[in-house]
Amino acid sequence: MGDSDITVRHALLRTIIIVAFAILVVNLFQMTVIRHRFWQGQALENRQDRFRVRAPRGRIYDRDGALLAANLYIADITVPRKCLTPAGPDSTLNRLIEWFGLDRWETIDKLQQQAARKDQLVLVSDASPARIFTVEERGRDLPGVKVVTHSRRQYLFGPLFAHSLGYLGEIGPADLDSTKSIYTQGDYIGKMGVEEAMEPALRGTAGIKLEEVNASGRVVGQHPVWVRDVVAGTDVHVTMSLKLQQRLAAAIGDRPACAVAVDTRTGEVLAAYSNPGFDPNIMGGSLTTKQWNELITNPDKPLFNRITQATYPPASLFKTITSLAGLSGGHIAMDSVLDGCGGGWTFGGRYFRCWKKGGHGALNHTGAMMNSCDTFYYQLGVRLQVDELAAAARSMGLGARVTTEFDDEVKGNVPDSAWYDRHMGKGKWSRGVLMNTSIGQGELLVTPIQMAVVAGRIASGGRMPDPTFVKDPAPVRRQPKALPFRAEHLSWLREAMRRTVSDGTGRAARLKTVSVAGKTGTAQNPHGDDHAWFMCFAPAEAPEVALAIIVENAGHGGTEAGPIAHAFLASYFHEDEADSVAVPVEIPEGAD
Amino acid sequence: MGGGLRDLLTPRGDRVIFWCWLALCLMSLAVLWSVTEPIIGPYENVDPGVPKSIFWRQMMWAIVGYVGLVVASRVPLRHIDNLAAIPWLVSLFLLLLVPVIGPVISGARRWIVLGPVSLQPAELGKVSCIILNASLLARGIDSQRKSLATGASLVLTVIPAMLVLKQPDLGTSLVFGAAWVAMIFWFGMPGIFLLVAATAAVSSILMFYSEAVLHQPWPWGAYLLVLLGLLYWVRWSIPAKVTMLVVNLFSGIGIPIMWGQLKGYQQDRVMAFFKPAEHAFSSGYQTIQSKVAIGSGGLFGTHYLKGTQKGLAFIPERQTDFIFSVVGEELGFVGAVFVIGLFFVIVIRGVDHAAKVRKPFSRFLAVGIVAYLTFHVVVNVSITTGLMPVTGIPLPLMSYGGSNLLVTSAMLGLLLNVSSKSFDD
Repeated sequence: MGDSDITVRHALLRTIIIVAFAILVVNLFQMTVIRHRFWQGQALENRQDRFRVRAPRGRIYDRDGALLAANLYIADITVPRKCLTPAGPDSTLNRLIEWFGLDRWETIDKLQQQAARKDQLVLVSDASPARIFTVEERGRDLPGVKVVTHSRRQYLFGPLFAHSLGYLGEIGPADLDSTKSIYTQGDYIGKMGVEEAMEPALRGTAGIKLEEVNASGRVVGQHPVWVRDVVAGTDVHVTMSLKLQQRLAAAIGDRPACAVAVDTRTGEVLAAYSNPGFDPNIMGGSLTTKQWNELITNPDKPLFNRITQATYPPASLFKTITSLAGLSGGHIAMDSVLDGCGGGWTFGGRYFRCWKKGGHGALNHTGAMMNSCDTFYYQLGVRLQVDELAAAARSMGLGARVTTEFDDEVKGNVPDSAWYDRHMGKGKWSRGVLMNTSIGQGELLVTPIQMAVVAGRIASGGRMPDPTFVKDPAPVRRQPKALPFRAEHLSWLREAMRRTVSDGTGRAARLKTVSVAGKTGTAQNPHGDDHAWFMCFAPAEAPEVALAIIVENAGHGGTEAGPIAHAFLASYFHEDEADSVAVPVEIPEGAD
Repeated sequence: MGGGLRDLLTPRGDRVIFWCWLALCLMSLAVLWSVTEPIIGPYENVDPGVPKSIFWRQMMWAIVGYVGLVVASRVPLRHIDNLAAIPWLVSLFLLLLVPVIGPVISGARRWIVLGPVSLQPAELGKVSCIILNASLLARGIDSQRKSLATGASLVLTVIPAMLVLKQPDLGTSLVFGAAWVAMIFWFGMPGIFLLVAATAAVSSILMFYSEAVLHQPWPWGAYLLVLLGLLYWVRWSIPAKVTMLVVNLFSGIGIPIMWGQLKGYQQDRVMAFFKPAEHAFSSGYQTIQSKVAIGSGGLFGTHYLKGTQKGLAFIPERQTDFIFSVVGEELGFVGAVFVIGLFFVIVIRGVDHAAKVRKPFSRFLAVGIVAYLTFHVVVNVSITTGLMPVTGIPLPLMSYGGSNLLVTSAMLGLLLNVSSKSFDD
């Protein structure tokens, strides 16, 4: 081996080493200097996780500022799913069960129900501070056990506003698909009433936060960066009054019934109570399968909002519209006297009974209204055209939705000739249908809120806007359509209704200091006892408030629904309740 | 040579190499201090962080390493030459003992536990193999039977290398090969050998790329056609051309067979190197996290103790094989190049000493040590910067580990020993 050989090899080895180290340095330079920004971004992405922070939902207040729905912040203690091993709970879970003194099998059963859907299972919801401290203190011995805080909707008056405010429920898969940008799985949305109608305002905007996490994915709690701030939901003030609602609910008691009151000047719903109801506080999360089954199998349908979803024949309440249609069509005058009532009337070879078996004798138009004489209205009905009566009904708000807020509101039915053609066949029906519709029976169907609108429109001469449940943020309101009736006819009707309360079938609603105008009704119910109707407004001379009440299977409007109106109006007009309750009334047996 | 206590306490030879050794040891301690700081935030038994005790252990081992360095630099080299077979036999014995009494740690048997100390016989194997080869080749250099010496040294290298490979420890077994290739190169290898070896490597890599990554045969086929054309064109002897072709064919065809021999995780690591995105959360995780750490360090680093990739436990094995990632993150390009530069100074001066000294044993010893160190550094840094697939190779002197620190220090002591002769001559 010569020296020149050595020199060549030495040079070669040196070159290899220099090249190898040069490659390392060049590569390092490329990574740390040229592509520094890219790798820095990667490092940031590595240690930052996106977290969505739910916005606090807007609270709901009544028209006077009383809190109706708030958010309660509660803490749940959760365990990771892996605590439930196939062989049974692991030591962590056993320890917790022992410390908390939980029922072992019930707890495991509860956790197993959640295991299919979630990674973190709720062991204790709404945990007490003592239990939270236990978990916080001994966290090292409890791997994966977390205290998770979240908010829960709290309805301060439980069932009182159940249907009108609604409740919150977990968003379903269908809703989630169409609103991916707004909601994520596990979000709660309004399911009924104002909660549903005002969802966009109440929900606010969820924030997005970047949190530093370590390699095991745990938040280390340093340097959070807000990508999008949380915007709290807007508080909503409803038009309802807590005090009036309580009064209404007390007057209704536990009967299946509903009542709705509107301000005739603004259309604002002052009270809306449907019974039976449910407790909206438990609807969101803690509702058990058993409770749910009870709710949906109860024959009185507690989930059903009778105010906007239930339809009934308007019965004698409809005589107000029949009268207006007759007056404006020139078929009858305000002081007309028709054939006397002998307990019924024959038309088309059929005998139609008046509710009063012995008959009313001769009555003028006002008297017929006051005594709700069917015989009079049979005679008036046959003078009308089917479509003439239907148009009058529609102009009052029947056959269409009257609120803009409640998606679940139903329209009811106002049959016209086209409707009869469709359902009975062209030429297969006769004007005899008017015998039924003129007294509000037959195919006519209305909702209680529609009847409140009818009362309100009569009271305000058609100036009352459509009813609304929300005061603030101010909803977009439809302008009321003028009524196609002459003012003198409307004031005649108001007077006739006033006398119905003062001297007729509606005497149960009388007040001491304020004159009330109203109309009673008894809706025939093929499935059971008749439904008792009452609609009214007051003061009769300068109306402020209109009210519609129906008590299911109760019998007669005057005796069953009238006292509810009385209780509500007494409260509304601040009459001393002790003085005003016992107004002696004598209503003939079977009056409606 | 002076005398007295001072001689016993200080190494002799190339001062620059010694200062580089010292600087690297201190760098190692500084980085390990940072690595053993508690990780930030809560964790769930995934990575509880690296205990501080590691820092103190490494400091103890650095002192032991210093002793090894001084002793190795002062022991007369001829004694080492004469007794070269003994450490090799001892290490062979220990390597044979590992599969019998070694505990299984992370799926491999690499350690022998003696009370509080765990030893890696593979580390001793590396240095003893280099010493024995140097002794053997030094004796064969002037004889007429150079091929016999080459063959014998290959056998002496392959035996411990195979034992290490079976542990399994692919990275360390490759070190044996690298040191042997460098020493044989120094011993005198015809240029055509190099060429054949180089083409064989190209053939293997192309075959692997065609088979496992592309799933199409054309790159290797095209390469063979080009090779055939070149062989037709060059004026070589027929046996040389045949050898060239056969070696290329075999190294190509052998690859799928060898691939089948690799363990699943080893295959995954290689695939992760070729297709990092597909393996980002499995076998490619280490590489990606390491690259993120180094790349995000920038020119001057995120500042000492402040690395987030380190502090949030994203870098795996950050106290051992991936310690360079922490250097890159916290000390930046400047710190990383400083560390690489220290190694570079050691190896380049080592090569120069190897060329200068007269005694063949010293030369081969120096070349072996340089090859060992270069291989470790280049491969480790390449792995942490994503230039090579992941395999377990520590960064000498820097990575936590007593055996490696002691052995590397002793080898540098031997290099100092050699360098003192090159000054003497």
